[in-house]
Amino acid sequence: MKPTLSRSVETDGKTRSKQRLSIDYVGYAMIAPGYLIYFLFIFIPLIVGVYYSFTNYNFYSTPEFIGLQNYARLLQDALFGKAMYNTFIYALFTIVPQLFLGLILAVLLNGKLFGRVFSRASIYIPNVTSMVAVSMIWLWIYDPALGILNRMIKVFGIDPIQWLYNPNTAMMAVVIMSIWKSLGYTMIVYLAGLQSIPSSLYEAAHMDGASKIRQFFSITIPMLKPTTFFILVMSCINSFMVFEQVNIMTAGGPLNSTTTVVHQIYLRGFQDFQMGYASAMAIVLFLITLVITLINFKYGNQGDDLDVD
Amino acid sequence: MGKLSSRNMGLVVMSVVLLAVSLVMLAPFLIMVLTSFKTMGEIQSPTFSLFPKVWHFDNYAEALSRGDWLKYFYNSFVVTIITVVVSLVLNSMAGYSFARLKFPGRDILFFSVLIGIMVPAQTTMIPTFLMMKQFPLAGGNNLFGQDGIGFINSYTGLILPFIAGSFGIFLCRQFFLNFPRALDEASQIDGASKFRVFYQIYLPLSKPILATLAIFKTTSAWNDYMWPLIMTNTEGMRTVQLGLTIFRGETNVEWNLLMAATTLVVLPLVVLFLAAQKYFVQGIVTTGLKA
Repeated sequence: MKPTLSRSVETDGKTRSKQRLSIDYVGYAMIAPGYLIYFLFIFIPLIVGVYYSFTNYNFYSTPEFIGLQNYARLLQDALFGKAMYNTFIYALFTIVPQLFLGLILAVLLNGKLFGRVFSRASIYIPNVTSMVAVSMIWLWIYDPALGILNRMIKVFGIDPIQWLYNPNTAMMAVVIMSIWKSLGYTMIVYLAGLQSIPSSLYEAAHMDGASKIRQFFSITIPMLKPTTFFILVMSCINSFMVFEQVNIMTAGGPLNSTTTVVHQIYLRGFQDFQMGYASAMAIVLFLITLVITLINFKYGNQGDDLDVD
Repeated sequence: MGKLSSRNMGLVVMSVVLLAVSLVMLAPFLIMVLTSFKTMGEIQSPTFSLFPKVWHFDNYAEALSRGDWLKYFYNSFVVTIITVVVSLVLNSMAGYSFARLKFPGRDILFFSVLIGIMVPAQTTMIPTFLMMKQFPLAGGNNLFGQDGIGFINSYTGLILPFIAGSFGIFLCRQFFLNFPRALDEASQIDGASKFRVFYQIYLPLSKPILATLAIFKTTSAWNDYMWPLIMTNTEGMRTVQLGLTIFRGETNVEWNLLMAATTLVVLPLVVLFLAAQKYFVQGIVTTGLKA
């Protein structure tokens, strides 16, 4: 960490006109600590995780290689199928409203409206707070007997609903909470997208007599295509990571109606100690995010390129 | 004139809509704070009022006495602060090297770091847990990682996996790539070593990216639930997020106390957010990743 570590070419620097050939060996020393941590705690675990996924490993015995048996079991595991289905439903029902509401709010906040600094902060604050904390708050809101939601609908003569304890409503209750939590993220990204649209486009459209509505559909929406795609990809990846709200609010129930992929990994790995089987689930999760990321690389960049033209 | 006023009317209507949305977004937090001052008697009463009849500030003291909250807060602060400080140092150093220095194998090393961006933490969690448990010579383990608990129930276990990674290194590298070449050349002619160039010239100029990374790390360390849940199993090593779940375990949840504790856990980040909004937003906008 001392300057003396540097074996590079300060003294030659003056005599040699070009330093292109010189090698900064100090670079290895500066990368080493960060890279080592990355290598030990991300890279190696990924490789080891792949290996575990081919083993029968219950944590107390040594891993026993069993080939593709874990993956074969996954295909027949109704509970994992249910978790996949739930995760998909969760993704669908959180992402679509989020895109829609986030765009509308961003457009509103992009104008010179009264109180927009306050609004921006209020909409974004749920995103800053922990999922554990907001899960607690929403548990209270959804509480069947005393919660404010059932007290409110009672005013309209609706009977109390067992929001989180009814298999038909539990996932939707989790979804509503999650939309509330992450709406601010979508809004901020859209806001950044809106601000990168050149104002000359709107001026030209205005000259041509296009209405605000027309401008929105003919300029704003098309110009925001890369932003929308980016949010879509990010939200998809995040949806597959859903765990905390499910573990805290419903523990996957009732009747497994809210269990998700990561929740299954957690249960199989850390409650049943089926480390090999849970690892296979984790690898499936990795492959899904990998595919989404690769789609992003392929089409996300293309979208950007088209935009520059 | 008529046209102007209808335009103004539109602005007023939209402002009102926006304000209503803001209130809806804040409502859960308002409910949290208002509930935290009520008595259980008032909460259970059939007649409902939003505001507490009498404000019970002692709920907070009562909530903190349910569990070793002093310890949870201490643990969360220690984990957060160390994670932030060390990760800033390691990530910026590696990012600078990848962006500004030339040495054999640099691009391959960087490519291998990039792979990590695509790996969700949930995928590596089981092997990482097992590695922590079986870390040689840690926590009573022998050379082969047996017989002890390794880094389970330790700050090291809570901190180590998060102090460097693809995201931070990538973020810093992209930032340092934008500096003009002339900066290096000028300092080189003055005879400064590469490391000195880094910490005397580059670091002072990289406050915005360091602030963004610091905010990102603070939020994720303070709010983390899954890793502490797996890594710790004793009261003394719990973090605030795990502390909240104690109340959930009870059969009859004392909502007023739970909401008081939740308020305290949420407060530090809300204050930080209000003080450093710019960097939160910048973090989202410039990185987009992993929010």
